[in-house]
Amino acid sequence: MNEGEFAELAAGRALHALSDADERRYADALAVHPEWAAIAEHDAETAALLAEGAPVAEPSAGIREALLAQIAATPQGGDASPPEASPLQQSSSEPSSPELSSPGPEAAPVVPGRRWSRKLFALAASIVLVVGLGITAAIVLPQLAPPASVVALEKIEGAADAQQATVELDTGGHATAHWSASVGSAVLVTDGLDALDEDQTYQLWLVRGEEPLPAGVFETDAGAATALLDGAMHEGDVIAVTIEQAGGSPTGLPTTDPIIAIPTA
Amino acid sequence: MLVEMVIDGVDVPEDGSAGDLVADLLVSVAHGDQSAFAELYDLLSSRVFGLILRVLVNRAQSEEVLQEVFLEIWQSAGRFAPNKGQGRTWVLTIAHRRAVDRVRASQSSSDRDVRAGIRDAGVAHDSVAEQAELSIEGERVVTALKTLPEPQREAIVLSYYGGYSQSEIAVLIGAPLGTVKTRMRDGLSRLRNEMGVNA
Repeated sequence: MNEGEFAELAAGRALHALSDADERRYADALAVHPEWAAIAEHDAETAALLAEGAPVAEPSAGIREALLAQIAATPQGGDASPPEASPLQQSSSEPSSPELSSPGPEAAPVVPGRRWSRKLFALAASIVLVVGLGITAAIVLPQLAPPASVVALEKIEGAADAQQATVELDTGGHATAHWSASVGSAVLVTDGLDALDEDQTYQLWLVRGEEPLPAGVFETDAGAATALLDGAMHEGDVIAVTIEQAGGSPTGLPTTDPIIAIPTA
Repeated sequence: MLVEMVIDGVDVPEDGSAGDLVADLLVSVAHGDQSAFAELYDLLSSRVFGLILRVLVNRAQSEEVLQEVFLEIWQSAGRFAPNKGQGRTWVLTIAHRRAVDRVRASQSSSDRDVRAGIRDAGVAHDSVAEQAELSIEGERVVTALKTLPEPQREAIVLSYYGGYSQSEIAVLIGAPLGTVKTRMRDGLSRLRNEMGVNA
């Protein structure tokens, strides 16, 4: 690793935004190059200044008493989590599991769609937070509104009859459909879809009985997309995706076999 | 937008901007000084709590994290090295880390809480925003953030205040992961220059 790569890791770490794998790369690099610690310290200092951009807030008065009682009975230097400002100590406390981030205690196997939806909810939650923050947020982040598909996804998942189904693609990617008949909409979340040529696009369909209804086209970024299907979704529709020419099928009917088909019945 | 910001009763930091009072207190805390700990809490609890609340939104959870943060400070103050950094930075770094950890843990344990949080956020923050006042330092940060190119600012704001990881941000804004990493690095160095942190 060169110093430039390390600087990138250090910035991500100062903002606490690294994946577990990158955390380990960071710790390993610092162990080999202790002279780079200064880079990390400057970044941590700069990031801490961002804290001042959040309004102060008064915690409940009882917390002070509770803490003072607690520390009186708590030995120091014991099992506290590794302190933030000592990055070198962090690595020893983390078991090395070189695969994906967040192995977590969840039961295996993790359904990718489930994890995606969680992430999307978290994303949606924080977007609302940013919008709701008023003055500061308005200055800091004037343009960030939640995409319609994320809003729709939240609405679907909030419905009592929310359902989802995930399919694995032959190409290694996967797609999860989320729908609610009572809300009457469906959202498709994909990951690992193949990149298409410029003159091609992915097109969504709601297949009702024998009849495919065009439900919009979507683009992927590095295989990922969150797409809201146009039109009202009915119970029993099949959610399908085909590859069509750019702009969507000119005839309004699929011209290729679906690469994804998820029944909602 | 700046015009709308009513600046009255601005706090003049009495919190160790001159000299490093926080660092001195941390050294005392490391030696088991409980009154120094109380003083540290009085000095920084509203700053720390405001940051946690900004990231977590949920007040009850934020208060839990606040307690975790100060408990960690008590237990690990001995690892704070006064020659290697400022006390305030050390405390705020712990607080931010714990807030972000909580965001990620709670989103994997229960969708319901998060969705409830969405609704709470809409209500709770309307009232907070009206009274939100920033310290002089806070104003400087906001001003400095405004000087960043939008993509860099977006990456920094989403990660620091939103608690998103780099890969989540990549999905959210529809950019390759490598781009997000680069934007963060460039944004942070630019911010450092704007804020006059020595580098």
